[in-house]
Amino acid sequence: MNEIFIIVKKELTELLRDKKTLINSVLLPILLLPVLMFGVIKVMEMVRKSNHEKSIKIGLVNAPEAFMKLVKNDTLNQVTTFDDSIDFKSLIDDETIQTAIVFPKNFISQMDSMENSAVQIYRNGSKENVNGRISNLMDIYGGQLEQKRMTQLNLSPDKLTPFKEEFVEVGEQKELIGKSIGGWIPYIFILTMWGGCMLAGIDLVTGEKERKTIETTLSLPISKFKVLFGKAIVASLLGFVPALLNLIGLIVGLRFIDGIPDEIKMALNEMLSFQSVTMILLLLIPFSIFLSGLIIMLVAGATTFKEAQSKVSPIIMFLILPLVLAAMPGIEFTWATVFIPVLNIGLGVKEIAAGTIDMTLYAVMLLSLLAFAVASIYFSYKKFSDENAILK
Amino acid sequence: MIQLNNLTKSFTTKTGKGFKKSTTTVNAVNEVSFECKPGRIFSLLGANGAGKTTTLRMIAGIINPTSGSAIVDGVDISEGNDEVKKRIGFLTGSTGLYERLNPDETLDFFGKLYKIPPAQLKERKEYLFEKLGINEFRKKRMGQMSTGMKQKVSIARTLIHDPEVLIFDEPTSGLDVITAESIIALIRESKAANKTVIFSSHIMSEVDLLCDDLAIINKGSIIYNDSFDNFRKEMTAPNLTQEFINRVKEA
Repeated sequence: MNEIFIIVKKELTELLRDKKTLINSVLLPILLLPVLMFGVIKVMEMVRKSNHEKSIKIGLVNAPEAFMKLVKNDTLNQVTTFDDSIDFKSLIDDETIQTAIVFPKNFISQMDSMENSAVQIYRNGSKENVNGRISNLMDIYGGQLEQKRMTQLNLSPDKLTPFKEEFVEVGEQKELIGKSIGGWIPYIFILTMWGGCMLAGIDLVTGEKERKTIETTLSLPISKFKVLFGKAIVASLLGFVPALLNLIGLIVGLRFIDGIPDEIKMALNEMLSFQSVTMILLLLIPFSIFLSGLIIMLVAGATTFKEAQSKVSPIIMFLILPLVLAAMPGIEFTWATVFIPVLNIGLGVKEIAAGTIDMTLYAVMLLSLLAFAVASIYFSYKKFSDENAILK
Repeated sequence: MIQLNNLTKSFTTKTGKGFKKSTTTVNAVNEVSFECKPGRIFSLLGANGAGKTTTLRMIAGIINPTSGSAIVDGVDISEGNDEVKKRIGFLTGSTGLYERLNPDETLDFFGKLYKIPPAQLKERKEYLFEKLGINEFRKKRMGQMSTGMKQKVSIARTLIHDPEVLIFDEPTSGLDVITAESIIALIRESKAANKTVIFSSHIMSEVDLLCDDLAIINKGSIIYNDSFDNFRKEMTAPNLTQEFINRVKEA
């Protein structure tokens, strides 16, 4: 055990003296989420503000006076009136106008005789700001006409609303938000963990070959298993610690960044309680060992960093696909999914975040991850002991 | 003392296209036997790819033999590599040092793995640093050192546990004459201290300077094994290099 500790200490010292490792494993993970959260909030604020201040060019045909008044009330609306319906598509394409509203010629009489009418709205579906504001105008105007008709018909609004739906929410806010965004949390951990394990794994095995120290390491008076296990522990740590720092970054970000809606903030705080975080971290320990073993096994035969990278890069697909599946609705954490690595973490974290995890399934998942970790260490040891591969 | 009896190492490679796979087995070292005695310097000579490095790696416990045995300082390598490694100092021309550690940390790392008691390790480290002139750069990282400085640290690393057996695999390869001289001095001192020394080389001037016994290896098999004095007596060529070339060609 002491020998493994000596190997771990030496490998950690070496890795942490490498600026690249320090930036990737410590600095980036801790700053990533707060910077991302802060950036997204600021960008959204800016977009909202700029959309609100943007003037829109509206083309109107046969617009009734009441609607015209409503449009002109907002000074940001630039109105052009047309006598007749023309090629509005071209006008929108060349940005003369951004949208056109065409009322029928007999619109007023249709309204007076309480008929149904059709108003054509020319628009580009991708211009959300323009379309949103026009929809809003139409809703207000439609509401005014509705009100007028009800008065004429002596109808009260209650009579037109036979019943109202009243929802009684039995799920907790935490469960609702946990189920919807909890599936995305593992993305952060697992991809950061993958990056950390990959860089460390390649540096500790292929890097030794490139630096011509592998023979020195193999001449050490300890077994190859201890050397390999020491390296796997370090690679796991370099994967686990960034994931932990990610989490710390997320918690710190939630606490100090303004602009996050209170209900989301509260639910996230509840989701990231001490118990939830401990349960998530417990899963990540065997998973980081599994990843490290897998990476070492794959890169043991590589002679250059580039070759090693090309060998391990495709694995990321096997991480992303199960995570995408886990985030999809309808896929549940059950006995059928509990043994599938990555997918089980994705689903399990979702359940932990929602506070609905079945503890038996959790224990089984933990045990299955441990079994995968042991298997990956065994196979990486086999590959590390392969003289053809390691001394290539 | 090192005793090799019919030591063999085979490497199997898989080749082929599509579903047709074939395996090829090559004996890199084929039934090699020789003996290296304490207080004498044994040279293993051979051209590139002759099997020198594979033989020395087996003796050093870095790779396992396919068959045969080797007894190093009374320990059979088949009984456990770790025990053998504790008795050996292994130095090669291409053995790298951990670039992000300094000499102090490097020797501490090796010393701890050799299980040298802390006080003894400190004393031995100071002795080697003083003797090899490492003190002035003992806190400098290996990656920032010159080849000569690194070679001094490599020597200190090889000797930190005061091994009974020293294995040098082309130790002066790629070094300038001044740095190579420090290695030659080390080999001589080891002989004087009654250590068992084996070194591989294809530089005949080094062999001439140091060798007591020698073996010539060609295509994995020993083609000559005797004392250097007898080798000289049997020489028909005008110099060592020519004699070596002739013997390899005749084999």
